[in-house]
This record gives sequence, structure tokens and C-alpha cells, in this order.
Amino acid sequence: MSTAQIRLATLWRREVNRFMKIKKQTIGAPLLETFLYITIFGAALGSRIKHLHGIDYVLFVIPGLIMMAWSTNAFSNNSSSILQQKFQGAIQDQLSSPASPAELLLAFSLGGFMRGLIVATLTFLVSVVLVGLPVEHVLVLVPSLFLVGFFFSQLGVLIGVRAEQFDDVAFAQTFILQPLIFLGGVFYSAALLPQPWETLTRFDPIFYMINLVRYGFVGFTEVSIALSLLALTAATAALFLVNLRLFSRGYRLRA
Amino acid sequence: MKALDIKDLEKRYPNGVEALRSVSLEIEEGEFFGLLGPNGAGKSTLIHCTTGLAQPTGGSIEVFGNDAIDHYAEARQAVGLAPQEPNIDWFLTVEETLDYHAGYFGMPRKERRQRSQELLETFSLVEKKDERTRTLSGGMKRRLILARAMMHRPRLLILDEPTAGVDVELRLELWHYVQKINQEGTTILLTTHYLEEAEQLCDRIAFIAEGQIVAEGTSEALAERFGVANLEDAYLALVGRGELSRSHIETAPEVEA
Repeated sequence: MSTAQIRLATLWRREVNRFMKIKKQTIGAPLLETFLYITIFGAALGSRIKHLHGIDYVLFVIPGLIMMAWSTNAFSNNSSSILQQKFQGAIQDQLSSPASPAELLLAFSLGGFMRGLIVATLTFLVSVVLVGLPVEHVLVLVPSLFLVGFFFSQLGVLIGVRAEQFDDVAFAQTFILQPLIFLGGVFYSAALLPQPWETLTRFDPIFYMINLVRYGFVGFTEVSIALSLLALTAATAALFLVNLRLFSRGYRLRA
Repeated sequence: MKALDIKDLEKRYPNGVEALRSVSLEIEEGEFFGLLGPNGAGKSTLIHCTTGLAQPTGGSIEVFGNDAIDHYAEARQAVGLAPQEPNIDWFLTVEETLDYHAGYFGMPRKERRQRSQELLETFSLVEKKDERTRTLSGGMKRRLILARAMMHRPRLLILDEPTAGVDVELRLELWHYVQKINQEGTTILLTTHYLEEAEQLCDRIAFIAEGQIVAEGTSEALAERFGVANLEDAYLALVGRGELSRSHIETAPEVEA
């Protein structure tokens, strides 16, 4: 391994090590939360709704839950990790190393990405066993999930870098991210909503992410897949470039 | 070769505070250099600019000929920093702290293991190696950040008040260790409030006040420049507190009861 590879691997290992040391909180709790959603919306509500657009309600809901698990874990991991390290001053050890802004950004991003991947994969495996979740379009599903994971990893980094107190992270998660996810159609189809809610839903970027993932799993979508993939790729790349600029400038990281 | 070559360094914070004002400083390779000054004089800011933790607003810094901004990777690779405030990662154990630090500097695994074992022994941390850093005492934390700074074998070691608040035993251990590695070729930049420490260890000393280097030389030369007997009196003269000199206290008339 080259010195740059050792550096990047160590930076990334530190991020994974952090969440694995508190895995009851970082892996266990989100898994439990996801299974509670599946139980409530799948078993309880599903027994009354049965089908949505010809798909079992529980199968309709689970893709959105997998996407939600990946995105919220990627976001909260990175925002918390960066803010904690800024608070402790421990980030100085990394900032005073020869690591480039791109290496630092990539390592922070991949930490949350990994946590989201673990929670989403476990949810997927359990869903396959319990309710026979299919994978209809793997070539759409894999890039969609990876882009969603990377997008929210970047968003977590952005909020973590900007945040000056834990309240800032909590605000972004509770008042911006959660409403956008819940109103993006995880539990329902936008077509069932009355106006103006149906139209408003289409202004929620997460609506398109949920539809991409749902299409990958069960083959149903309410949006253009090609257009959504293109927009998600562009948004993720733009966010990465914004973060790279912040890291290069040392924004709220270096005095 | 110059280990550190600072020219006209300026640092103005966004709130307008001028922490460094046209600071120039040269430290030769292999030198043991002391930087003294009152709190808020700019010592830590100068160190942060050198290590990439602060961004200069003017001037230049070269570490062993590498510009600290344009060739930051080479410059930072050569520097080890033991900061004033223990900035340790709470999630890591003592051994992981050393291992990860060396990894950030690109050291291969086998070499990391050998080096961390060596430093755990040097700093009497072997028994604590599996403990989480947040459970360590203040003295142990200080030992750990010193070991961490030396982990990647830096050519320039920066010690920012390394003996503040540590017991006599650790202070003497540290003195012996840094003298040894200095004799082996490591350049050392030390900031301290203990003047006898600077006097005993440093080849040359600079006084910094209000963001400017105001005097520089051996401790004898500094005493001569301020027209006093020793480094402590020179420092007191610098900060305008000559009346606190021990020579005044020793010759003061006895106060009647």
C-alpha cells in the first residue's frame, strides 16, 4: 500500500471504529426502529390496506424504509462524528497530518456510508426472509442506493462542518430531513394525495429517491427513472464539490 | 538547512484580532529552540499556522524547505505536534491513538506496531494501552499526546507547553527524552512558561509579545540585551514586571511585625 492509501484507509477505519464501538446506539437502535415501522405499517396497517398499485402494502413500504435507514444513518453518523471531533479537538490530529482535503472528505463520507450500508443490508436480508422482498431491477437499485447513501453522507458532512453545537445537527435532522423523508412518500403513494399535496410532494427531492429505490425493488414508480437518476447524480456531485471546497478552505475546521 | 523558516508571518482572525504581526523566525536543523511569551502573545497561533491548524493571512512558512501551504503534505510529514490542550479522541484506546496517528502519516502497519510498543514503554503507558483515552488521568493524557507527537518520527518536534500541570517525575522524564532525541538530530521547538526549563534545554530562545518577535538569542544574550542577570529577569523586563525579580525580593527590607 502507498502512504496515501494507508492514510485514507486509517482515516476511514477511524470512522468505522467509532460507530462500531457504540453499535447498540448506531446499528442496534436504527434496526429496531426500522423493524418497528415494518411491524406497524406492514402488519398492522397492511392488514387493512392490503394492496397499493397492485403491490402488497408491506412490500410497497419496505423499499422506502431501507432508503430511509441508509440515508438517516449516513447523515447522522457523519454530522455527529465531525461535530464531536471538533468539540474534543481530536480533529486536529487529522487536520495536522499530510492528508489532503479530498482524503479527509472521502474518509468522513465513507464512514456514514458504511453505517447506512450495514443497517440497510440487514433490513433487506430480514425483509427477504420474512416477507420475500423481491429485487426487480438490480441495475437501477444498486446505483440508486449507492447514490442516496453518498448524497446523505455528504449532507451529514456539510452539516457537521457547519455546526457549532449539537443543537444545529438536531435541528437539521428533526426539522428538515425527517419531514422531507416522511412527506416524500415512504408510507404512501403521492397519487393518493389530494391537491395541492400531490403537487407539493413532487417538489420534495426525497420523493424521487424513494421512487428510484422502490422501482429497483418492486418495479413500481411514479417518476421518470432516467431523469431521477440523472438529477440524483448531479445533486450528489454538486454536494461533494461544495464540501471539497469547504475542506480546501478549512471552513470552520482550521482557524 | 533550516528546519523552520518563517518570514513576515501574519495572522488576522475574522473578528479583526491581529494574532501575529510580521513574525520572522529561523530555526536551524538540530537546534533546540524556545519560544517564550505571556499568554495571548501568539505562540500557539504561530504553531497552528506551522502545522496547518490555522491559515496565515500573510507571509510564508517553510519546513525543511517545503512551503507549509503549497507543499503542505511534505511540510506536515516532518512535524510532530504536542498541543497545549490534550486533544485526544475519546473513542480510541491508548494504543489505537498511537496507531491511528501513525496511519494518518502513512506509516505501514508493522512499523506502527513496533513504534507504538517502543513509545508505550518510553512513556510508561504499557499497562494503559487498552484503556479508552477518556478514562486517563491528566498526567497520562499528557504522556499520550507526547508519545503521539513522536509516533511518526518527526524531524521537527513542536512541544506547546508540554510540562504545564504535570508532576516532577514526568517533567524530568520528558526533559531527558527530548534532550536525547535532540542529540540524535530531531529539531525541537518548545514553548513554556517555565523559564528554568527553557534556560536549561534551549540553544536559543525568542521572546514573543503582542504577535511580534521582540528579542532572540541565547539566554545569556537575552539577559545582556535587557541589562539583567538572567533569563527570568529578561522576561520580566519584557512584560514590564521587573519589580517581581527575585533579586528585588531577596534584597527587600524585612517587614516589622
